[in-house]
Amino acid sequence: MKPPLMGKIRGYVKIQIRGQHTEQLLNLLLAKRITIWDVRRTDDHQVSLFIIVPDFFRLRPFLKKTGCRVHVMERYGLPFSIGQVRRRSFFVTGAFLFLLGLYMLSSLVWTIEVKGNESISTEQVLAAAHEEGIYPFQWTFRLKETEELSKALHAKLSSSSWVGVTRQGTKIVIHIVESTVPKSRKLNNPRNIVASTDAVITSIIAEEGKAIVKPNDRVKKGQVLISGALGSPESPLIVVAKGSIRGLVWYEYSIQSPLVSKQKVMTGQSIEKSYVQLGQRRLQVSGYGQIPFSHYEVKTEFNDVNVGMLTLPLKWVKEKIMEVQIVEEAQEQQEAAQIGLRHARTDILAKYGPNARVVTEKILHQKTENGKVKLKVMFEVEQSITEEQPIIGTS
Amino acid sequence: MSRIMRKLNQWTAHLFDLPQDIVSDVPRVSLIGNRKLFVENHRGIVHFSNENMRLSLAKGELEVTGSELVIRGIWTEEICIEGYITEVKVHGMEDAKP
Repeated sequence: MKPPLMGKIRGYVKIQIRGQHTEQLLNLLLAKRITIWDVRRTDDHQVSLFIIVPDFFRLRPFLKKTGCRVHVMERYGLPFSIGQVRRRSFFVTGAFLFLLGLYMLSSLVWTIEVKGNESISTEQVLAAAHEEGIYPFQWTFRLKETEELSKALHAKLSSSSWVGVTRQGTKIVIHIVESTVPKSRKLNNPRNIVASTDAVITSIIAEEGKAIVKPNDRVKKGQVLISGALGSPESPLIVVAKGSIRGLVWYEYSIQSPLVSKQKVMTGQSIEKSYVQLGQRRLQVSGYGQIPFSHYEVKTEFNDVNVGMLTLPLKWVKEKIMEVQIVEEAQEQQEAAQIGLRHARTDILAKYGPNARVVTEKILHQKTENGKVKLKVMFEVEQSITEEQPIIGTS
Repeated sequence: MSRIMRKLNQWTAHLFDLPQDIVSDVPRVSLIGNRKLFVENHRGIVHFSNENMRLSLAKGELEVTGSELVIRGIWTEEICIEGYITEVKVHGMEDAKP
């Protein structure tokens, strides 16, 4: 039978009773309502049975009456386990310390995350948080309430419009919403705007300062176009001149364009070679033999060798050798000249900005010599001609 | 229990159609296969060994024979015997013939 209710807690023992009148003893126990179970005859004068501990201590008078002797065989239940625990004090303290350590480590702040900051540096936020007691290895129970913390941080970080502090276990998340501050203007020195090159003015718009020249005026390089000095010459008000001026500028180009153009054309024939590369040394794996092409181009591809997450110091190199044919094409004189002009126009746009515009182009001279077309061209270009010149010495 | 009381008990039991073991001091024995035996209304153990067991009843004795007999549980009114039971005999109740 199973031990009675709370048997494990109160503890029970298996005892052996020796004596002539064991039956009489059992009847006495029954009469006194002492619970026993699993009674077993082990010998002619010997009986083994289970009894709960409190009842075991009530046995003595009945034993005396019947002349029996008792011997404890086995012990079960909590009172005995406690005794065992006492003997293994080191184990128990270890287990306790482990739990304590786990609790302590989980009540530390391990990481601090700062989110949503753009202009405020993370270091700045962390420094402010440190002052408020948020730093790694801080006890979480020593932290103030998160609402209080967010208020204090908001007060410390002047350019934030809202700060939220949340704790997720051992992680503190500081969420920052920055207030939008208008961009501060770039500070400029007082200046004039002068011509960057000789030109004829086509348009002049002065945003600040006084426009000195008019459209269709011819200006020299370095001439003041928009003056930064306002008012009378005796006591001028110095400002930062600003504006846009466009003018016509002339450029002379000498162009050479060949009559025979050479072009590389892929034939579609190719061979592949592959290598294993370690550092600077290569070992060819496949594609041995002479390259059967007279003209070719090589396309090389490098691949890292990975084993799981690991990248080995090896490289797998693939070379594709593609046959190329050089096709020569004869061009008309006019065609060659056009190609030359086109090159010149793109050159102008690249040099003088995308706003530059070729107004007129005039071929001054053209001759064919040694299979080349030689051109001399005059380009009239409309472009921005502003240059800044600081005003020094006046205050 | 006096003779008159017993008669009266039997008569009321008959009248209300009650089972006999409730009103009179007779044992109720239930045997489960040959492994378990419950005896209610016993009056203590007379003899107890692995092969043979005698229980005293209000009148007479109950003898259980078998092997590996163990008292699984014992209470003042009830007893549970486990083992390989081969025989259950009742002694000293021969006079209670109907």
